[in-house]
Amino acid sequence: MTTMDMATGSIASRPQAGIGRAARRVLWPSARVRAACAFLAPVAVLVAALIAVPLAGVLWQSLHHASLIDAAVGGFAGLDNFRMVLDDEHFVPALTHTLVWTVLSVAGEYACGLATALALAQPFRGRALVRGLIILPWVIPIAIAGVNWAWLLNPDYGVLNAWLVRMGVLAAPFDWLGRSETALITVTLVNVWRSFPFYTISLLAALTSIPDDLYEAAALDGAGIVRRFFVITLPHLRPVSLTLIVIHIIWTAINFDFIWVMTQGGPLDATETLPILIYRYAMQEFDVGLACALATLSMAAMAMLFLVQALLVRAREAR
Amino acid sequence: MAIFRRQLLAMAALFPLLAAGPARAEPTTLTYWVAWDPLQAEAKAAQAAIAEFETANPDIKVKTQVIAYDALHDKLVTALAGGDAPDIAWGLSEWFGEFNKMGVLADLSAHAKAWPDLGALYPNVVRNLTIDGKLRALPNYLGLRALLYHADMLKAAGIEAPPKTWDELVQTSAAIQAKTGKPGFGIVGKGARAPQEFITCLGQNGVEIAKRMPDGKYRNTWAEAPEELERATGVLALYGRLLSEKAIPPQSANWGWEDEDTNFALGQYAMVMNGSWMKGRIDQHPVTMRDVAVAPPPAGRTAATFFEIAPLYLFNGKHVDATWKLATFLLSRDVQAKVFPDRSPRSDVTGDPVWGKPFTDLVPVGIAFPPIVLGSIPRDMETALGRVLLKGEKPAAVAAWLAQAINKSLKRSGQLSE
Repeated sequence: MTTMDMATGSIASRPQAGIGRAARRVLWPSARVRAACAFLAPVAVLVAALIAVPLAGVLWQSLHHASLIDAAVGGFAGLDNFRMVLDDEHFVPALTHTLVWTVLSVAGEYACGLATALALAQPFRGRALVRGLIILPWVIPIAIAGVNWAWLLNPDYGVLNAWLVRMGVLAAPFDWLGRSETALITVTLVNVWRSFPFYTISLLAALTSIPDDLYEAAALDGAGIVRRFFVITLPHLRPVSLTLIVIHIIWTAINFDFIWVMTQGGPLDATETLPILIYRYAMQEFDVGLACALATLSMAAMAMLFLVQALLVRAREAR
Repeated sequence: MAIFRRQLLAMAALFPLLAAGPARAEPTTLTYWVAWDPLQAEAKAAQAAIAEFETANPDIKVKTQVIAYDALHDKLVTALAGGDAPDIAWGLSEWFGEFNKMGVLADLSAHAKAWPDLGALYPNVVRNLTIDGKLRALPNYLGLRALLYHADMLKAAGIEAPPKTWDELVQTSAAIQAKTGKPGFGIVGKGARAPQEFITCLGQNGVEIAKRMPDGKYRNTWAEAPEELERATGVLALYGRLLSEKAIPPQSANWGWEDEDTNFALGQYAMVMNGSWMKGRIDQHPVTMRDVAVAPPPAGRTAATFFEIAPLYLFNGKHVDATWKLATFLLSRDVQAKVFPDRSPRSDVTGDPVWGKPFTDLVPVGIAFPPIVLGSIPRDMETALGRVLLKGEKPAAVAAWLAQAINKSLKRSGQLSE
């Protein structure tokens, strides 16, 4: 009789079995491992070529002087590029804008996504249609959504401004994207509009998997709607919520296109985030070393976040 | 049967050789990156000209790729850095210094010496495309700026003639606002055109963003020369005045070129410093563009305007001779008269009386960016405008900051004279 250790794929044979037979059995899993390796090899090569090599290139360049337009610039820079990034007057504002943009975006997306998911979990006429329509903002390409919102918000001929003036909310059209006090929050709100449907469908899927018996039993025990929400719904949504929040923090923090399309980091750098700063280093100042140093710092921060999430998941599973 | 089969095989082997006839060299294919709007007449005329060129030169094929100006710079820089450049490309004059620093521009001096049409180009156009005695690009078209104005709006405000000085510009604009309720003047506060308008005003006040020093490098000298700092301050003060005296709409501090062009074409304000491409708006807005007239730009201390020499960049490579042939064909009088009748770099193509000559007459007072790697300088110039227009900061402090920022950028790109 043979038992297999599922974690390692090895097989332990009982001592009474013949040596030759046992040896053949030991060979069997290694053949299986070899087959697995053969199947995984193309993916490993692809991941190495598309992710690992460029990533290593970024790390390497961050430690070197490199210019996109001057081949004479080169040589080992040590930590000079990192020092220059941290000393740059644009770095702290860009970091602050990234934090504000990310935290407000993810919080707003989660709140809107949860509210709409709860609403769409209730039975009402036309629910299937609304469930289909709500995904629309998320499927519109970012560039198109950004350009359209910039037009809607335009102070000269934007529809939103015209409506707000007509309804008496504003005395005159307001340049939402052109004022440094409102530009970041405006772009953030547009981002919330675009991204919350992803939360809606994910949370809705999780909501539909909660057994009705739990709600019925809680109701019989006298739990009100608010208590049922906090005691049954939220705990069941926790795993999917954690994953959603972590991936959206990463996606939002590294987002370049939405802000670039709408404000290009302006006015007066009011919406300049770290990805925009990386672009400026690389394509406006042509300093590849500096751009790679900032990209490395961002990457390290994201990796830390991912690690924390993995540790939290492991700790929860251990409990 | 065997003999027949052998004959058949021999014929089959010989067939490609027989079919090919006498040996002919493969045609050279030139890659040409352009930024034209395929729907515009000038693009159609250019495509027809290229077809004509290919017919006349069967050994050369031209493969055009249309890339919008917004994306063209980054695509060119990355393609050039990656060694995958086109043979020839449109571009902006602001990129001239970068490409020269990259060492990717072909030296056209020898070709130019043997080109009979060189003398037909405006001399200062050729001068602006020459670095250290070497011709590094050819001009594609000119984007000179003049004062465009809605004559009916000026008339409605009781103004007989367009403004000739900065003071008149501010007063006229304020009068138009007061009489018609519409702003008198429009500016651009962001994007590529904002520094172009800013450098025009600096030139009109007799000040440069960077001077070539005896060591061949560049430096902003405002901090060392108080009168230059004062003149730069005067330019920023003019922007501040335009806003505070309601000569411009407040939102124009955040306008890009699309907003400036569209609002002017729609008759939303009366005057703008703009190029002859606005003629293309007549078809789109025939009613509101009907009264547009053109005058020289209002002068500060001196007359000056932005000299946008959109270059044709010819890159080093295997096909420089063929590329030169194409470029000079495109610059021939016939082709220019069809493609760029109103903004040709040739002095013998002056265009129509409204959209051509009034602009090309300004060639002698044209000023351009110095041939340096501009780096963050355009962005710094945009920031300086924003600090005055959006934050209301003192022009003197902003001018002093801008001088430092320009030198910092020059230092980063290794071009600062110290």
